[in-house]
Amino acid sequence: MARQRIVITGLGGICALGNDVASIWDSMKAGRSGIGELSAPHLEDKPRIAAQIKQLPAFDIDRRRLVAIDRFALLAVMTADEALRQAGVSATHMDPTRIGAVVGTGIFGAETADENYWALLVENKSRASVFTVPRIMPSAPAGQVSMVHGLRGPVFGVTSACASSNHAFAAAADQIRLGRADIMLAGGADAPLVFGVVRSWEALRALARDTCRPFSADRDGLVLGEGAGIMVLESYEHATARGATILAELAGAGMSADAGDIVAPTIEGPTTAMQACLADASLAVEDIDYLNAHGTGTKANDQIETAAIRRVFGKHADSLSVSSTKSMHAHCMGASGAIEAIACIMAIRDGIVPPTANYREKDPDCDLDVTPNVAKERKVRAAVSNAFAFGGTNAVVAFTGV
Amino acid sequence: MADQLADEIIAKVKAHADPEVGEITLDTDLNALGIHSLELTEIIFDLEEAHGIEIEMNTVDAWNSLKNVGDMVEAVRTLIAKKA
Repeated sequence: MARQRIVITGLGGICALGNDVASIWDSMKAGRSGIGELSAPHLEDKPRIAAQIKQLPAFDIDRRRLVAIDRFALLAVMTADEALRQAGVSATHMDPTRIGAVVGTGIFGAETADENYWALLVENKSRASVFTVPRIMPSAPAGQVSMVHGLRGPVFGVTSACASSNHAFAAAADQIRLGRADIMLAGGADAPLVFGVVRSWEALRALARDTCRPFSADRDGLVLGEGAGIMVLESYEHATARGATILAELAGAGMSADAGDIVAPTIEGPTTAMQACLADASLAVEDIDYLNAHGTGTKANDQIETAAIRRVFGKHADSLSVSSTKSMHAHCMGASGAIEAIACIMAIRDGIVPPTANYREKDPDCDLDVTPNVAKERKVRAAVSNAFAFGGTNAVVAFTGV
Repeated sequence: MADQLADEIIAKVKAHADPEVGEITLDTDLNALGIHSLELTEIIFDLEEAHGIEIEMNTVDAWNSLKNVGDMVEAVRTLIAKKA
């Protein structure tokens, strides 16, 4: 039997670029960066930059749920709502046991962790909040999405640092292909803009001073961001049978591990993941028009990623439009892949490649067409989205138009 | 008659309750407070600390049978009296 085709029928997103997919995409097309001054408790000692969500949208959620939910899981719940609405999927008029969710996170409920330690160690409170455990746990976004939206099928979290969302897409598609669910929500969420996480990234000396400039010779690091993205996945047959609008196809996924260093990337690991993705999607390198790079803006990543892309795409690498939208929404950790999937899917739908913002100087080691600063109109038949991670856990996904 | 313990417990409950609940009295049903079950545990812990009382596990079970705020006040009053 031929393998089931997995299509996307709903999309939801939130990050510094906007509180829904339409506004995020508008910002991306305009090359508008959401990076600005960070405002967070206990981080007032010096100015810092980040891509922070300006204001959370109003969201109707039971107060009893809200007290037990950290920001990262709330973002997942909100974006799941947007995706479900667009897909016309509701657990109240479908079999809820056939709808599931896989939500990735690279960190955990970081705000809760900070508040807890602050209360115990600084304010000398005698005990932790009873909500600490359910708010922090990395599976909370998946669990909360299922509770708020009534999904009773396979529900779990996945974690692979900054590749978490792409692993979530792969795992969710598998649930459908294995017959465990008809509809799966998939994506990622992270809200890392709190004292503990920001200071930990500072310790790595990986953060940019002024802004995120992927592939630009004067790049000096990544910028932390927060956000979430969720898509609704179902089989092509299931989507067409219920008359759903198909946004794009999740054509394939490829995963690999560097099995090298916990932080230093390799060329081989990302190369293998991209090749595995193309093979899984039955796509030739010439079929790909756009590649949304991992493109963190660190010296090491951008150079090694360029080399890996050249190794995979050969001569076609010079016909490929590449960009790092992290230049605008910054590095949203485990949510990155989900927000970058929005860039890929909308690029296919609108025939517009979103740019790499903040680009200033050519780097001979990053010599691909990185779509500097200005979006490019071109037909995008297929797009590939790279996600590499600390731990060397790589996941690459491919989307095609339907 | 002013009941300090009742006022104190009502204030604690109010801090956790859904603002839309309105005025909270001894007759207010615990289920009507819009409080997560874990929050009730928080309130109990606060009361333990404030009054130096200890609520044993079987007492916690008893809390499940409490119906309104007044029942909660009486349960705490009993434990305080036992301690004295």
